[in-house]
Amino acid sequence: MQERVRISDSQVNTDLTSSIFESSKLYWILVGFLALVVLCGFTAAGYMFNRGLGVTGLNRPVMWGFFITNFVFWIGISHAGVMLSAILRLVQAEWRRPATRAAEVLTVFSLMTAMTMPLIHAGRPWRVAYWVFPYDWARGIYPNVRSALVWDPSAVFTYLTSSILFVYIALIPDFAVLRDRTTGVPHIIYSILSLGWRGSVRQWKLQIIAGILLSAIILPIFVSVHSIVSWDFGTAMSVEAWHSTVFAPYFVIGAVHSGVSAVVTVMIILRWMFHWEDYIRREHMDSLAKLLIVVATAWLFFFALEFFFGLYALEGPEVALRELQVFEAPWKWYFLTFLITSYLIPVPMWLIPSVRRNLWLMAFTTILVNVGMWFERFIIIVPGLMRKQAFVFTWGGYTPSIVEVTIITATFAMVSMLVLLFAKVVPLIPIGDAKEGMILHDEIKIGKVMVPAVMREE
Amino acid sequence: MHESHHVVAPSYLDMTAQEITNDVLKRHHSPGNQFWTIAMILGGLFVVGLVGLFMLIADGFDNKSAWGYYAATFGYVFSLSQTAVLVSVALRMAKSHWRRPLARISEMFAIVGVYSFAMLLPLLWVLPSIEGRRSLWFEWPGNTPHIWDTMALGSLVICGLAILYFASLPDLVTDKEVSGKSDEDVSYHPLIPHWFGAPKHWQLQKIVLGLLGGFYFLMLIIVHMLISVDFAMALIPGWKDAIFPAFHAINGIQASIALIIVTMFILRSRSSLGKYLELEQFWALSKILLATCLLWFYFWWSSFFTYWYGRMPAEIGVLKYIMFETYSTVFLLAFTMCFVIPFLILVVNVVRKTIWGPTLAASVILIGTFFNQVRYYVAGFSVEDHTLHVLENLPDFTAPGPIDFMVVVGGISGAVLTYMLGTRIFPIISIWEIKEGLMLQRVRKFMKRDIRVLAKPE
Repeated sequence: MQERVRISDSQVNTDLTSSIFESSKLYWILVGFLALVVLCGFTAAGYMFNRGLGVTGLNRPVMWGFFITNFVFWIGISHAGVMLSAILRLVQAEWRRPATRAAEVLTVFSLMTAMTMPLIHAGRPWRVAYWVFPYDWARGIYPNVRSALVWDPSAVFTYLTSSILFVYIALIPDFAVLRDRTTGVPHIIYSILSLGWRGSVRQWKLQIIAGILLSAIILPIFVSVHSIVSWDFGTAMSVEAWHSTVFAPYFVIGAVHSGVSAVVTVMIILRWMFHWEDYIRREHMDSLAKLLIVVATAWLFFFALEFFFGLYALEGPEVALRELQVFEAPWKWYFLTFLITSYLIPVPMWLIPSVRRNLWLMAFTTILVNVGMWFERFIIIVPGLMRKQAFVFTWGGYTPSIVEVTIITATFAMVSMLVLLFAKVVPLIPIGDAKEGMILHDEIKIGKVMVPAVMREE
Repeated sequence: MHESHHVVAPSYLDMTAQEITNDVLKRHHSPGNQFWTIAMILGGLFVVGLVGLFMLIADGFDNKSAWGYYAATFGYVFSLSQTAVLVSVALRMAKSHWRRPLARISEMFAIVGVYSFAMLLPLLWVLPSIEGRRSLWFEWPGNTPHIWDTMALGSLVICGLAILYFASLPDLVTDKEVSGKSDEDVSYHPLIPHWFGAPKHWQLQKIVLGLLGGFYFLMLIIVHMLISVDFAMALIPGWKDAIFPAFHAINGIQASIALIIVTMFILRSRSSLGKYLELEQFWALSKILLATCLLWFYFWWSSFFTYWYGRMPAEIGVLKYIMFETYSTVFLLAFTMCFVIPFLILVVNVVRKTIWGPTLAASVILIGTFFNQVRYYVAGFSVEDHTLHVLENLPDFTAPGPIDFMVVVGGISGAVLTYMLGTRIFPIISIWEIKEGLMLQRVRKFMKRDIRVLAKPE
């Protein structure tokens, strides 16, 4: 189905910068509300720092709860950027164009949010300084470089740095457009950020090469980040269900599943909020949903491997853990919720073409996926720790406190708020990419039918 | 290559549909003396393999270690042939235009699936009962894997043949019409029903191929899991590796792409099919091959790292057995030839964008994959007591004897011969897909340059 409409270059500039130069009342109400939730989160975190971790539901033997679950969740969301932007750029998928910026921006903000989680979880975040400046080697107060917990910050920082660079390189032509349409201080800032961009052939060539090179470089980083996060669990021998060889790819594909779903949700919100119907079209939703079917099914395969091979050896503690996850309340409800919302509802719905082109249903199903994926991380982390093990003198459940719930809620508000605020300073659909898509679009007449086509230059 | 254009445009764009039909069918009907000479040699080697197989059977099925190399050859043939069909299925779903000349080359391996199924049958007598040992089938009756593995592989083979049949149907009809044979002449392609290329027929063919492709993909992953676990992992005490089935599948995908590249190279040089099998096909496949090489390493690393870091006796025993002590040389060969060498070849852009570069890398991968199968299947069949939970004493390395050489050479020769004989029934180049490509591709002027336009119909 041909949904593309021809739009002039100047109209593209006007349309895609509308989020910067025009603001509706609704936008500010939404930002204000989200800021309020974030403020509540900061207050709760401050309260926790003041009173100690006792105000959370964390207690022996469950010392990893909502914060670590949320850390893994946001790291997962961050995988959307590279998956959509780098991979689809490398394979020259035309339908990537309106999705890349939102995906990259979501990567940066979700990574930043993810990184706050271990700091908050530490209870006394200033002690992270000991990692950089260990003050007493003799007492062993220094990071153990052989631990995956230490590799984590390195990987995440590298990913954040490269993601910011990735976003920035793609933004340079758009900064130039904004430079030419602003005055005063914004003009000065955009002038600096646009690095003297004039849109010459050489500059475009360099920008494209840089984008491709960064895409190729960032891919191994993207894989390493969630792999290392998975090894936080996989290398732990003392917790049943964590020591699994499949964890690394299982975490990565799960991250892509939740990340791409989040991008779809964000795209639908942007389309609705900024009236970008001519840019974020139903055909893009259709393609993204098809991609999600493949990703979700691959994820389900890895989940099945993880679960099945947990039982494979029929070792008592492992079987008991699986029974806890699947048959005992409340875990069985979480398990059921996770499975139904992350696969059993969305994927059969995406198989129906009309659903793939229905924005409401796409928003609904992609939000469902992320509800399920959050629960997935939760039931991986907490039940394993709850299980009675040798030499553990206390055991029990985990109930998150209101402090944890408030902080977690605030992280969702923070990412949403940051994306919305970012939309006030840069276009969330790459202007250059949108124009290139228009130029490369063509049609071929076959019989009596005009078939959409794309120009492809090697 | 289309020398007159700056872009990579297939040479067949200069031909008419009728010229393509005549050209492909002419080559199909006159394979040349060299074809039959090679077929005779392969037939001779196959007979040698059969003699080896009879000698194995004469020695009985109790000495499992004697069957190790036969099992490795089966694993190799199964992995390559059955997974090769997936390449065509996946590329057709992705609507890649460059797939057209290689689609049939890939699908034709479905015929070799019948041969791999025949190879499975003697192994069923060697495979020990699952009673008292770890298995995928837990507490099911002892001969469960024998029944289900046979049924699963059989279903996969039938599905593969169905894909080949439905994908070849238009070409078989074309062949019949060009040859001027009547409908009553059943000696000529008796498989052809009443196909005359009505729109309804094409729609039906598209739907059937789509459904069969989806089913084939799911079945293939399941069969990889069943074969790899039942015939390798479950036979080695202490080996509980959730990623292994996925690793086996990714190695199969990697090797099958390599196999298609090598087949294309042979067809290009020996059957003068250079105007269809051009640089574009090699280049496109080499990118996927590079990705699979990296995935090979990533999956291997995920498994190795989790085991090595954990230091559990059972897992270290497995590492010593199949990687670092007993089968260390075989592992080193597999690692070097499946990852190191092909990666170094394919990572260089200018080498990847040649015909010889990907072919060289693919040839190395094909050898490396065989070593990889040896370290799993031979190692698995060499363990005497499968009921143990830990490899307390590492079994000795099973060196190949004369019978093993006969079985390996004969087994692989038989597979190649089966493929060659298949080309006598089905044209090796998919005529209808090439002709469809003629309709959906154009070369147009764009800013003083010739550029390729690709139609993307729904």
